[in-house]
Amino acid sequence: MNLAGAQQRLREQAEHHLRVAAMEDLRRQHPQATTAPHRARGARFWRFVFVPLYRRVPWEMKEKAMRALHMTAESNGWTPPARAPGEPWRPPQR
Amino acid sequence: MTERLIVIGGGGAGISAATTAKRVNPDLKVSLYTEFEDIAYSPCGIPFVYGGEIPRFEDLFLSTVDRYVSDGLDMRMETVVTDVDLDRGTVTARNQHEGFDKLILATGFVWEKPDVPGANLEGLHYVKNIRKAMEFDKVLETVKTVAVVGATPLGVEMAGNLGQRGLEVHFIDEGPWVLHEVLDPDVAEPVHESLTKRGVTLHLGTAVEAFLGDDHVRAVATSQGEIACDVVIVCLHKVPNTALAEAAGLTVGTTGGLVVDDHMRTGRDGVWAAGDVIEVPHGLTMIPIRGLTGSHAYSQGRTAGANAAGDDRTYDPVWVPWGLVAGEYTIGGFSVGETLADAMGIPYVLAKGVGVSRARYFPGATRTHVKLLAEPGTLKLIGGQVHGGEGVKERCDFLAFAAKRGATLEDFAWMENIYSPPIGALFEPIAIAAQNGLAELRKQAQSPAPASVPA
Repeated sequence: MNLAGAQQRLREQAEHHLRVAAMEDLRRQHPQATTAPHRARGARFWRFVFVPLYRRVPWEMKEKAMRALHMTAESNGWTPPARAPGEPWRPPQR
Repeated sequence: MTERLIVIGGGGAGISAATTAKRVNPDLKVSLYTEFEDIAYSPCGIPFVYGGEIPRFEDLFLSTVDRYVSDGLDMRMETVVTDVDLDRGTVTARNQHEGFDKLILATGFVWEKPDVPGANLEGLHYVKNIRKAMEFDKVLETVKTVAVVGATPLGVEMAGNLGQRGLEVHFIDEGPWVLHEVLDPDVAEPVHESLTKRGVTLHLGTAVEAFLGDDHVRAVATSQGEIACDVVIVCLHKVPNTALAEAAGLTVGTTGGLVVDDHMRTGRDGVWAAGDVIEVPHGLTMIPIRGLTGSHAYSQGRTAGANAAGDDRTYDPVWVPWGLVAGEYTIGGFSVGETLADAMGIPYVLAKGVGVSRARYFPGATRTHVKLLAEPGTLKLIGGQVHGGEGVKERCDFLAFAAKRGATLEDFAWMENIYSPPIGALFEPIAIAAQNGLAELRKQAQSPAPASVPA
């Protein structure tokens, strides 16, 4: 597996386990409409280390870290949209 | 000398790229290569032909090859491009090298295959090519029991339509409710009810462990036991078809899609990409995502085609309005719901409300449920889900656009709306949700409970 493949795999795993944890939490409010998600055996690191650690970090800090690590699209020539209410929309500045 | 643009791929992105490029610069020679026999049809309509709502597959065609040829496009049908050489500016197809000045890659996606024993048995079907879909329609005439694997949007449409057709449908997914990757659990109940009413048996929280059979599938082995079936329809995720691009040295991102900038440019001069083969940033987080809708692919193709033809168009980060009919029930949303926001750890405040789609007394009125997620403090909209009957799609489109512009719960609480009994009620459901959300926030501000819902 090359570096790009490893990065994809890492992201897939992180997203999957964060999503399963969120679903476990939310489904408690709707027990009659949902069932327990299937959990594959293993993956203890993701479940018991990664997810709790990720959840302890505030979103603002995660956002900064993702930008610093070039995990967001600004590093590939994209500009975040200006979201100022009351102002006319403009194309992203280049 | 006439410049030549080659477009690889005949799906929504490829077709829109080629036609836009020719429109913007009629002097450009535009060649489109596709491996398939057909072009310009709507694969998204296939489940509804299976269900009988659309009478014929032929109704899914939107245009013809002849029409594109008469518009000046050089159409290379049933022609597989086997190699792209970016240094020499050539593509190879049918052992012939063809030169290009500009290139657009719109090679689309392939379906994720289940990574379990028996995945190569006969009787496993994937929904993409219309001719194969027509053949499979004849197979469906001969079977009684179908297993649909994957509660994705396609899976939900397929299960609901095959149930409508009168088949015994087993719908299998690992998640705790259908569409769990986009839908929140408060919307799951009416969706499950609607599918069940159509004769669909739900097997949720259930992992596929193998497909059983000698040559042809006869059952699915799952974590909850064996499910007998005559055929299987696999509806897992789209995987970007990047093989050609990767072999040519283009960069793939963390989603597995090609990296492009806001002009749909790849890292190489004169090479653009669009559609399901690329990744684009989400407007809220700027994190690259992929696997979007046909309308996203079409729009990206237009951007790539215009720029390849000499224009200067940008494509904005996406807010992903989505929607579908699950059985009889319409659901939709945009950006993030509670599940995704919680998973990512994005803080939000909730605003929920229920209204009606027409005047309450008018025949055909349906209840419309609206849930909005807003940023704590600024109350800017960051996501939401809408469900019910009519008007879900239009509300999700509008909300996605409003979120992109930075609209707040205050804006929606005081918004204007159409009141006309046959088409709109006095109170707009979005405004009701926003007013409820603000009232709840005021109540919380007067009590010691926190106003936001951190993940």
